[in-house]
Amino acid sequence: MTAQDLTALLPFIVVSAACLVVLIATAVRRSHAVAGLVTVAGLTAAFGLLPAAASVAPRAIGASGAGALVVLDGYGLFFIGLILAASVAVAVLAYGYLDRQEEHREEFYILLLVAVLGSMVLAASSHFVSFILGLEILSVALYSMCAYLRDRAISLEAGIKYLVLAAASAAFLLFGMALIYAEFGTMNFSYLAAQMTAGAYPDRALVAGGLALMITGFGFKLALAPFHLWTPDIYEGAPAPVTAFVASVSKGAMFALLLRYFSSTSAARLHGVFLVFAVIAATSMIAGNLLALLQNNLKRILAYSSIAHMGYVLVAFLAAGDLGPEAVTFYLVAYFITTLMAFGVVAVLSPAERDADRLEDVEGLFWRRPVLGALLTLALLSLAGIPATAGFFAKFYIVAAGASSGIWRLIVLLVVTSVAGLFYYLRVLVAVYSQPAESAEPAPRLPLASGVVLALLGILIVWLGVFPGRVLETVQLAVASLRF
Amino acid sequence: MEGLFYMAAVVAVGATLMMLTRQNAVHALLYLILSLLAVAVIFYLFGAPFAAALEVIVYAGAIMVLFVFVVMLLNLGPRAGGLEAAWLSPTVWLLPAIMAAILAGEIVYILSGPGLRTAPAGEIAPVQVGLALYGPYLIGVELASMLLLGALVGAHHLGREARSKPETKTHDVYSDVAGSDSGGDLVRAGSDRTSGAA
Repeated sequence: MTAQDLTALLPFIVVSAACLVVLIATAVRRSHAVAGLVTVAGLTAAFGLLPAAASVAPRAIGASGAGALVVLDGYGLFFIGLILAASVAVAVLAYGYLDRQEEHREEFYILLLVAVLGSMVLAASSHFVSFILGLEILSVALYSMCAYLRDRAISLEAGIKYLVLAAASAAFLLFGMALIYAEFGTMNFSYLAAQMTAGAYPDRALVAGGLALMITGFGFKLALAPFHLWTPDIYEGAPAPVTAFVASVSKGAMFALLLRYFSSTSAARLHGVFLVFAVIAATSMIAGNLLALLQNNLKRILAYSSIAHMGYVLVAFLAAGDLGPEAVTFYLVAYFITTLMAFGVVAVLSPAERDADRLEDVEGLFWRRPVLGALLTLALLSLAGIPATAGFFAKFYIVAAGASSGIWRLIVLLVVTSVAGLFYYLRVLVAVYSQPAESAEPAPRLPLASGVVLALLGILIVWLGVFPGRVLETVQLAVASLRF
Repeated sequence: MEGLFYMAAVVAVGATLMMLTRQNAVHALLYLILSLLAVAVIFYLFGAPFAAALEVIVYAGAIMVLFVFVVMLLNLGPRAGGLEAAWLSPTVWLLPAIMAAILAGEIVYILSGPGLRTAPAGEIAPVQVGLALYGPYLIGVELASMLLLGALVGAHHLGREARSKPETKTHDVYSDVAGSDSGGDLVRAGSDRTSGAA
């Protein structure tokens, strides 16, 4: 490895180092404050080092040629930055949340940093080997994070469900990769791209089978219907900050990889693959929005809403040209901020023994805690896509991208299901603005750091909805480096 | 060469199917080891003796050791010995023994036969694997180490003993079951002594 390689890898190295520092500090003396501080400092430092990494971009790490495992280009670095920023928010929210727990709390930050590293590898992956490594690093950390609060049966259940289903989906992915490797003899995305665009594959059945298995694996990880069955249980069972992480970072990293893989190999343009993705997008939008109507639990509502949102992103993914990837990336940015905000409010409202995820918990929230009520309102309005929020502009962008490539049926479905989705967001809002019940238990005190993070997220939602220009330019720059 | 591959492949698939359908966890585990050994033979046939050795040492070997530890930790009662004798009827051990014999026969045949060791893609020696892993693919090794760290910390956290709970409920359940049904598997058979000493 040269000095330039190491410079490009600086964000990865800093995150790993922070992980080891927390580990050793915890081994010497347990301190929640130190663990939290080192984690936030490490993530922030890694974020600050992104310009240094960008100065040597694009840079492929690994053996020369087809052996390049990760590639650090503008696109990868953009998503790494997004992941790091979201992880800082998760770490801060988790600090306030875990402070109320009596469990050993320091291990959480080690697991969080490991999971962040896995997501970063996914965002920069250009090879099946780094893909599987990143995915497993992320998943293994997430199993324990979902089950972190061992006193809660529901948390353990979430961990076990995630373990079994993630392992099964990894098996699908591996088998798909094996079939594709058997046909092309390479595991590097750009080399696969060269052969696939040349149309040089004698055995179409192998490629089709491989792609189908891989799409199943992707679909599971992104919780797209019909691979979404785990989502509500895990969202409900996992501690609120972990749910925020699963909903934002883990899905965002996977989508970054999906976009890189399919746009570089241009496999999404194959007729069959396009059709499969279109059906998955349609079922996700319908299933997510309709099933959310039946829920009475805030976390489950948000889980089904996330299924629908991934369906929306998939519509943009299917749009041709540069507009599609741009819409995907912008939507993910808006979705990250909004989801973190929604689950952040749940996290700060949660007392020590359970998560405040029932609709009764937010009943009259606006009258009891006006600021938190307003922030939750903002998050829900953004999820619903009301103008002047980040969610509106992001959805608008998807419609524009879809319209430019003429996938009208999906666009119409998106608009119709979004309207249906308004109902369940409004149900939560009605609860937030109703008069509080007499016997409502007092919510715990709002930790200062969590308050600051939530306020920042709120400002970002409005800023992105009103002045999206700056972020849009960055997104366009990042996506431009995706072209091969 | 091809015949050997198909024989090993049939053993691998058959052993895996048997593993999935066994009621008894111990039997299932032994079939799993057989399946791993068959895969090791396939690796060997394809010119990857190093991967084959790793498969035997890490998978078959390590899983076996872990299993032995679990049996030891379960603190087997005296009744387990009688159960073990009852389990070892020919219907149980005949099929895995035949499968294992096929694999052993293949190994002997390969090692004694002339010229069979040249695989289609050439032979990959341990040195080449090491040079590739600690040369250009160093980042992969480092990432794998972080994966293990994550797994280790997670296992440590989840496996830690509960702080203030004197007796966990699972032991009660097991001892109840063991009292009413003596023909169960090792876990139940052993728990007649652990129920008090939890």
